Amino acid sequence: MDYHIPPGTETVEKLEDFIVVNRLTANTRIPSERDLCEMWKVSRSTLRQAVDTLVGWGVLYRVKGSGVFVSVPKISRNMVGVDSMTGELRQQGMFLSKKIVSAHVIEATKQISKKLKIPLGHKVYEYILIRNVDYVPSLLETTYLDCQKYPDFDQHYTENTSMNYIFKNVYHKNQSSGEEHISVTYASEDEAQIMETAPDTPLFFTSGVVMDENDVPIIYYKQLIRSDKFKFVSEIYK
Amino acid sequence: MDMNMELEEKKDTQQDTDAKLDYRMPIYLQLREIVRSKIEEGVYLPGTAIPSENKLAETFGINRLTVRNAVDALVNEGILRRVQGKGVFVVGNKYETVLEEQGGFISTLSANHKRTSIKELAKTLRPAGNKFANHFNIGLDDLIFYIRHFVTLDNESVSLEEIFVPKEILPQLEIVDSSVFTLKDIFAFYGIELCSMSQSMEIVGGISKIRKTLDVPDGVALIMLSCNYRDNGGRLIAFSRSFIRSDKSSFSIKLHK
Repeated sequence: MDYHIPPGTETVEKLEDFIVVNRLTANTRIPSERDLCEMWKVSRSTLRQAVDTLVGWGVLYRVKGSGVFVSVPKISRNMVGVDSMTGELRQQGMFLSKKIVSAHVIEATKQISKKLKIPLGHKVYEYILIRNVDYVPSLLETTYLDCQKYPDFDQHYTENTSMNYIFKNVYHKNQSSGEEHISVTYASEDEAQIMETAPDTPLFFTSGVVMDENDVPIIYYKQLIRSDKFKFVSEIYK
Repeated sequence: MDMNMELEEKKDTQQDTDAKLDYRMPIYLQLREIVRSKIEEGVYLPGTAIPSENKLAETFGINRLTVRNAVDALVNEGILRRVQGKGVFVVGNKYETVLEEQGGFISTLSANHKRTSIKELAKTLRPAGNKFANHFNIGLDDLIFYIRHFVTLDNESVSLEEIFVPKEILPQLEIVDSSVFTLKDIFAFYGIELCSMSQSMEIVGGISKIRKTLDVPDGVALIMLSCNYRDNGGRLIAFSRSFIRSDKSSFSIKLHK
């Protein structure tokens, strides 16, 4: 029996492999369509479709008039632990900074009270902040925490400290476990402006609760994450 | 009736003649033990369907209801699994605690298990080619299985899944129904040590062919969930990639310290 790979698929795979084998780094231009067609003996339209596919996957990007380039790899948001995100990103060599967009004390809505397991109308801190990764606003984050359990939180928390640090060192609370929900949403005009992207761009929408050792909720958060910059990664070991 | 009468399987339908029914024991119990031993002996292989209830009734010359009782007993034991519209399948050994579901993205679809249906669109062998030869560290012309699944929820398209497994790693994939069991289960059935799974989830654009197959409305994003399966030695033994309609599914993940 004669086994073969469908020509379209084969070209996509050759192109993917070409980038890896030749160790093409981010923002490197790939050879011209004509050269690749000649090299792989495929038609222009087959090659163009392969490029389209990889552009769609975020592996390549096109620049009008100058060619096709290798994309900057998406940042892995590793879903290993509750407090690992910023540390994890720094380890990947990212420069992180954050800006507090707003900080308020509000009354817990139905949703917030349910998530934090506190009475409706109970006072909570609401922090909205934008996280920049390598100077690009990439995450818009809203966090809620109980005012009563964490008195004077606003006195401790600034743009130069992490919530995790304050929980640990001021309130002696360890973030121990959590569950996060991930779905897709689309940027509103306002969100698009803050995150420097176009309205209706798909974004990851995550929400979750982080708990202490006794499964008492510490924070409830929601995040909008640029999907052109981030991917979620999870490793399951034996 | 002669109390010592033993029923023999009709030889034209089954190759082995060991299986006999003995009227001194309730027939459904006997059939249950016959099916069980065929599973243990590897006549019925994990991940494959056993003969239909009609077929079994005919083979042993017994009532279909009796067959059903026997099969039900094994379904209740978890040795067989009945899948609506597909048949009764042999469930192999599972790695109970090997891969704890404490990492990993859990699709909300899994909560709607009953309303979800998986169809195998393709199962073919193909040469590894450049990319997968490097991925799996095999030769360019070594064969790999390529499987494509179409997943629907309440008859609406949800996702398209592609699975790539080198033939030499899991030759049994040829006969196993990959739409009934997960790859993880199938590896366990055949004693292939699965040590880690790394998943990655991203939002992808373009790929009009896949969007068309899934009938994705304009403006709705597609999620690509890919997974690398590795064995003890860190060797890649399978790769899967799903394209999932973001309007039909979301995910949750448990986080630990």
